[in-house]
Amino acid sequence: MTTLDQKPASSEGRKDQWSQMLQKVGKNQDREAYHALFEHFGPQIKYYAMANGLASHAEELVQEVFVSIWRRSCLYDWRKAAASTWIFTIARNQRIDMLRKMQRTSAEMPVETEDLWQIPGENENEPVTSLHRLMSERRIRESLSHLPEEQITVIAKVYMENKSHQMVADELDIPLGTVKSRVRLALNKLKVILQDQNV
Amino acid sequence: MTRHHPDSLSLMEYSAGNLSEPHALCIKLHLDKCSHCRSRVDTLDSLGAVMMEQQPKVSVSESMFDSILSKIDSEPAAEPAAAAAPRVSALQKLLGEDLNSLPWKRQLGDVSVLDITDRFPGQKEQVVLQKLAAGGKAPAHTHRGEETTIVLQGAFADQKGVFNQWDFVVLNDEDEHKPVAVGCEDCITLSVLSAPVKLTGTFTRMLNPFIR
Repeated sequence: MTTLDQKPASSEGRKDQWSQMLQKVGKNQDREAYHALFEHFGPQIKYYAMANGLASHAEELVQEVFVSIWRRSCLYDWRKAAASTWIFTIARNQRIDMLRKMQRTSAEMPVETEDLWQIPGENENEPVTSLHRLMSERRIRESLSHLPEEQITVIAKVYMENKSHQMVADELDIPLGTVKSRVRLALNKLKVILQDQNV
Repeated sequence: MTRHHPDSLSLMEYSAGNLSEPHALCIKLHLDKCSHCRSRVDTLDSLGAVMMEQQPKVSVSESMFDSILSKIDSEPAAEPAAAAAPRVSALQKLLGEDLNSLPWKRQLGDVSVLDITDRFPGQKEQVVLQKLAAGGKAPAHTHRGEETTIVLQGAFADQKGVFNQWDFVVLNDEDEHKPVAVGCEDCITLSVLSAPVKLTGTFTRMLNPFIR
């Protein structure tokens, strides 16, 4: 009756352009799409590296992330995560991995970074879950635009500068409880979104 | 105090990649079995992606792209298959297949412990496995600092409830408890401790864990 009943068509419509590109890389080793991803995400990842104290390794991190994107792209499933979410987690893991390797001298690392921090959608047991994950980015973006600056500042420090809540409190010279309540207020808003999506 | 599931703040620190390795392990073990929390982390990962997108951008050069291309061209094409291969879980890598046959040290009554801090080189926290024999009791104790625990096998109960396999618990100095192993299996937990335990009962000996 309605077009919503025709799943493939409506699903296709939800796929954002970056997820489509990433899928092309995964399926056909499409270098043009890979280059487009580099132009869009490369500058973000470079800033990410610089913001959290890896300035002298920023380019190296960008390269590591893109090599990893190339290698893993065959595992990418747009139904499980938007390309930007998937790429963020790869950048995060490569950053952690780089720091771990710098800090270890001789000691072995029995557990690999990816045993501890997972990439969304790479859990084989995970059932394919509709569209809510793709939707969530768009809604997060919308909802963030309504958050007060002070809440966004705290979240940005946690995600971009990789500061713990305690470190954020020290830096902004506010009590830890205040940092936590700002984060909670912001996350409450996002959780409402999550509930919406599950309806 | 957090019980059964990690709170949103911890999941956010996890998603941002700010947790220590032992803490990340506790969260990961829980996520592997809890689709509810996994879905919360997915949302948080998307938050991370949106934060990254909204920050300033730093230009990247074409020559960098060229060197990425030469990197991927110089590597064997077999990589994707390797990436898709089934993974051995972090727990198995750390502890092997059988938790019960580890070199446990009997500590006090029904409690055995095994310190695995050395498996996490360079980390500040103490990491301890604890085993409470089926039906056994641990002495009453409180916690100095913060203690994050995940149940790896069996279940335990205290005044606040029953904790089953893969449940996640964070306790601090306000939480005095007296855990009992319930069910027919020994209860094995993994705990990350920021400071040693303080006994509240009559015990004065130096003790660690369940007793943590």
